[in-house]
Amino acid sequence: MSSRARAPLAALAGLGAAIVAFYGAPVWTTSAAAAALGEVPPPRFSDGMVRFDRAPGEKGYWSLPSASSLIEEGVSVKMDARGRLANLADASRVAPFQPWALALYQYRQKNDFVDDPMHECIGPGNPRAMLTPGGIRIIQDRNYNRVYILYGGGNHGWRVIFLDGRKPPDPDEVVGTFYGNAVGHWEGDTLVVESIGFNTRFWFSNGGLPHTEALHLTERFSRPSHDVLRYEVTIDDPRTYTRPWKSAWTFRWVPGDIAEYYCETGRP
Amino acid sequence: MRVLLMSLMLSVAAVGHAQEGFPLDGTWRGQRVAGTDTPVTIVMVLGWDGKTISGLIDPGPKSIQITKAELIPEGWRVKIEAHTKSGEAISFTGAIGKLGAYDRTITGTWIEGARSYRVRMVRE
Repeated sequence: MSSRARAPLAALAGLGAAIVAFYGAPVWTTSAAAAALGEVPPPRFSDGMVRFDRAPGEKGYWSLPSASSLIEEGVSVKMDARGRLANLADASRVAPFQPWALALYQYRQKNDFVDDPMHECIGPGNPRAMLTPGGIRIIQDRNYNRVYILYGGGNHGWRVIFLDGRKPPDPDEVVGTFYGNAVGHWEGDTLVVESIGFNTRFWFSNGGLPHTEALHLTERFSRPSHDVLRYEVTIDDPRTYTRPWKSAWTFRWVPGDIAEYYCETGRP
Repeated sequence: MRVLLMSLMLSVAAVGHAQEGFPLDGTWRGQRVAGTDTPVTIVMVLGWDGKTISGLIDPGPKSIQITKAELIPEGWRVKIEAHTKSGEAISFTGAIGKLGAYDRTITGTWIEGARSYRVRMVRE
């Protein structure tokens, strides 16, 4: 191998060494996907489990979501940062709506989201909280087999995901909440979360997508590289949509801390 | 003290919450009015299972089962049919107002037997 060809590899190795030094020697395991892209692999715990939060000594959080609203995977329509469609005629392409749900979505779009509960500081709920500015942190509490997600936007809320093997609650018995009742498990490096038991006091996406109490979310979190978090959510709400559908976006790792912020009426 | 606590619990339970899902879901309360007759309070409880709207008029010992209900998104029109205990047909047609508000309304005409009433209901 020529010295010219070796230079990028040496630089990459140097970068890895610098990060290890900076982060206080976390355990790193080669991620084939990240390595193939020339990116830094995600940090891991000593037993190899991927870390979704900071490695020891590091400061940072997830932000800059690549999408502004839920939209069915594979569909491309123009919308602004609030999820407002550039062309209202595209509404029916955003998700497989039931007729009433499409009409309500169009109504909200036409009214410039004037009735958005977030204008009154009602929490964004899930998964809209994964779209709000302000960033998120994903804290793995391995002592209690739980994951906490802390939100920097909306009303600065947080949610808990139980990974202790418990069953989801009976949908007929559960009291609906903004984040639902979530249980999770690992599939390799992917955290898979099932949530039911939502109330209907919030819009579950920017842009005004409706849902009912029958909402069932399946979320998949993965960290293909140090700087990228992939988030995928499957929406199953047969009272609102004609079939389950999927949306996905990514976050970028941002150095620093989530800034203090609280919602004030009229300024979500 | 017990009465005070009960009053407090009831007042908390009565606080309305926004309902951003299916527009007809929930409890609706209003009055039907005809001429100089004393207005009669009507309560409707409606629910949506993804295919059918079902519900009750005046839930309780004298409740009436709704036999057919429809929400037409064009104009947010509502059509409800039922029969009184004595077998008279009830037909309520109206339209939703303040669609985006938690205290949205249905205003329309209630026909029961041969009589026609004006009705305005508010979602609780």
